[in-house]
Amino acid sequence: MTVHALWVINKAGGLVFSRSYSDTLPPLPLNTVLILAGTLHGVHAITSRISPGGGGGGMESFEAEGWGGRVFLTATGTKFVVLHSLPHPGLEELLLKVYEIYADAVMKNPFHTPEMPINSSLFETRLQALMIAANTA
Amino acid sequence: MTIFSLYIFDRHCDCIYYQDWHRTRPIRPPSIPNFRPGVHRLPPPLDPLAAQSTVRESIFDRDHAVSNVITTNGARVLSGSTPATNRGYTGLPFDEETKLVYGVVLSMRNMVKKLSGRDETFTSYRTNTYKLHLYETLTGYRFVLLSDPSTDSLRFVLRQIYVGPFVDYVVRNPMVQLDSRTEGIDNDHFRAAVDAHMRGLSMFGT
Repeated sequence: MTVHALWVINKAGGLVFSRSYSDTLPPLPLNTVLILAGTLHGVHAITSRISPGGGGGGMESFEAEGWGGRVFLTATGTKFVVLHSLPHPGLEELLLKVYEIYADAVMKNPFHTPEMPINSSLFETRLQALMIAANTA
Repeated sequence: MTIFSLYIFDRHCDCIYYQDWHRTRPIRPPSIPNFRPGVHRLPPPLDPLAAQSTVRESIFDRDHAVSNVITTNGARVLSGSTPATNRGYTGLPFDEETKLVYGVVLSMRNMVKKLSGRDETFTSYRTNTYKLHLYETLTGYRFVLLSDPSTDSLRFVLRQIYVGPFVDYVVRNPMVQLDSRTEGIDNDHFRAAVDAHMRGLSMFGT
């Protein structure tokens, strides 16, 4: 599995972090990524409303022909979106690690304002190490 | 393993066909102004009050126990017990639901195209209660299938429906007006053929 990119979306639908970890997907201007993250937030809300059985959560993953995306929703409404290649063994473990790093490097940081863009070098370096390990495995 | 429902959209973004199999929550029929013939076989709403009034409700409302109904004379009535359209149905009306399905499909399709930077096709997404599969034809028809979340890709089923029943009983049927924008493509042969095809699949549950 190759991780192409990681986004963190706050509970209002704003993009607070985005990094690309491979060059399979073309680099996009930050404005486009902001729009796409907002779209994904809206789509996530709608997908739970069109469930044929009623109830249920929103979109968890989506697939294109050569790659896919996984949406991980935390209990507090923050979304982690990982764009990855197919197939994707070990993706769930990777997401839990990302969440752990987020809790350690962002939430425990007293200088971080919740729901605001993440500017933490510790978060970035730890994610970089995790993604390099995942992409070379 | 089950199959929930099938939607077919034409290139004008209109839903032209709908059929469902194992929906646990029945779909609410559309109100009379939004009723289009030849799309589904849902009963039309019976209450004349419901036909006159426009139900305004947010798609983000979780429960529809109380919704504001504005009647034609401008009086605001709290529904919940009065309109017949709400009786026994908890979900969205048919026309609203198809718009949401089409909107989601279109948004995801554009997002996948933007992200990959070329003409890559969006194929499916999954939630914890269902999985949506999309098959798009060159003529702009979009076949959307909702199934159990654990199924593999069912795009081949949609393709089979397109090359089989759709071509036989819709495209080659002189009685069906394609691109009419006012009517769907429903006919007995097509509905029966799609039904038989779905029931013959191994993933079609009981």
